[in-house]
Amino acid sequence: MLVKWLKNIKLAALIAAVFVHGPLFAEPMDSAQDLMARMAKASKELSYKGLFTYEFRGNLTSVKVVHIVRDGQTYERIVHMDGPEREIVRRGDDMDCMRASDMLLRGNVLKINDDSYSHLQDFYSFYIRGDARIAGRAVSVVNVIPKDKFRYGYIVAIDKETGLMLQSILINSQGKPMERFQFVDVSIGADLDNVEFTSELSASDDIDVDQSDCLKANQPVNVSSSQWVPKWLPPGFVLSSYQPVDAEGQESLMYTDGLAVFSVFIDSAEKSRRLPPVDANLGATVAVLTKTSLNNQQYAICVVGEIPRSTASQIANAISPLLASPSP
Amino acid sequence: MSDHEERLAESLSALMDGESTELETHRILKEVGTESGVKDSVLSKWQRYHMASSVMSGDPVANIDFSAAISAAIDEEETHRINPIQRFAGSAGRFAIAASVAMVAVLGMQQFNTVAPSSSDAVQFAEVAVDAAQQNNGPAIQFPSGFQPNIQARTVSAGGNNRVSQQPVMPAIQVRPVLNQQYSEQELRAYLNDIMLKHSSHAALNSNQGMLPFARVTKSEEAASFAEGSYAEGSSDD
Repeated sequence: MLVKWLKNIKLAALIAAVFVHGPLFAEPMDSAQDLMARMAKASKELSYKGLFTYEFRGNLTSVKVVHIVRDGQTYERIVHMDGPEREIVRRGDDMDCMRASDMLLRGNVLKINDDSYSHLQDFYSFYIRGDARIAGRAVSVVNVIPKDKFRYGYIVAIDKETGLMLQSILINSQGKPMERFQFVDVSIGADLDNVEFTSELSASDDIDVDQSDCLKANQPVNVSSSQWVPKWLPPGFVLSSYQPVDAEGQESLMYTDGLAVFSVFIDSAEKSRRLPPVDANLGATVAVLTKTSLNNQQYAICVVGEIPRSTASQIANAISPLLASPSP
Repeated sequence: MSDHEERLAESLSALMDGESTELETHRILKEVGTESGVKDSVLSKWQRYHMASSVMSGDPVANIDFSAAISAAIDEEETHRINPIQRFAGSAGRFAIAASVAMVAVLGMQQFNTVAPSSSDAVQFAEVAVDAAQQNNGPAIQFPSGFQPNIQARTVSAGGNNRVSQQPVMPAIQVRPVLNQQYSEQELRAYLNDIMLKHSSHAALNSNQGMLPFARVTKSEEAASFAEGSYAEGSSDD
């Protein structure tokens, strides 16, 4: 009798031990999420400047970056340090503009359509891998592992003091790195307050900042003027931006799951229509171009993004006219 | 003699020779326990067999049954009481070991899962580079601004253009066109460059990597003009 009682006690103790320890293991995952949320905030709100390297397939380029937040507006400039001179300037982005990925990375749930939602945690697992040192600063390294085959994983290193991301490695499904961003030198914060924001090179690309995609009260992006719709999307991706047909006959739909981003371009321009179906990749970025027709008009559909090729092809093939119309 | 008895006899002699299997031993012990008042019992057989073997080997033979006396002696033996605390300590110790093993297993699995995707990045980058070198048998250098058709049929000679060799090996876009040439290389390249820039611009706003995605865009005015020089003939430019 006593023995039986003791056996029950043992079993109960074992079960209790498992439950008591459960939260101990879950805790680091929570704080990995917190780190990601902090990173999302830091990337918008911090002023920083530095040098970072971009590496893929054994190619290495170095880039100078300045990111200044002043009076709620951001000013950004990157200058390629190797190869042909190249500078990209972007100014006047509203710091308070929250886009889909900002919301997602901060742990919010976004509505995709009436019966599906996007939540970062549903599509990635987060683990804190440990501490490291990057660009002379102490960082926490977080492994971001996708839960399906439609997206890539990441290893990100987040500055312990400020939350700024100092390293980002894109990892494919075989666990191999595809590309790496890494700061080699960075200064963050106060000493940038008086930096003049001027262009360094005579020839620079001024990129317009589109603020139409700022989310207001969880309102989905307005796509009412588009006559195209993807019949399939990788789960978790929300429409983050829509550009109606421009003067050249190109419209674009852009999607994010909070980390990965892809864009769909639909072109009716003559020169685009002459392009062949193409399956291309630039480092970790793939471009899949297909052809389709609507109302006797040829269209080129191109999916571009840092997503696996199979995902991109699947999306490209799923882009369809909104209204069923007779094909020629 | 029934089958059962025959098998039992065999088992018994095997036991005497120390060659019985565990199953046979169990069968015999069970039989000894159950039978009482059976004429030719296993117990009596056991005694008989032993007597016979003693006779054959010339050992002195005495038909004495000690079993009853030994049983009685065991019954009289005082029972040693087991301290409940000691018993608990013993099982607690075993439990501690089991719990430790479980803990190690859980921890181990966590570690295993966590470490899997990323061991030694530097080494892996080197490997990727080798892979890429093997896959890219197209002329990477001749295609500026990072775009490289991946088909040998359209190899374009770099000629003696010095700027080609100065060009760093750019990110290679591998392109697999399906249709025949109704377009120019430039158009395709210009188009890809254009959408790449637009995509990066969008990605920069929407991937929380700040301006980093722009690092992927390697297009420049110089590279573009170089492209025109390279494809001076046969270009149906807009």
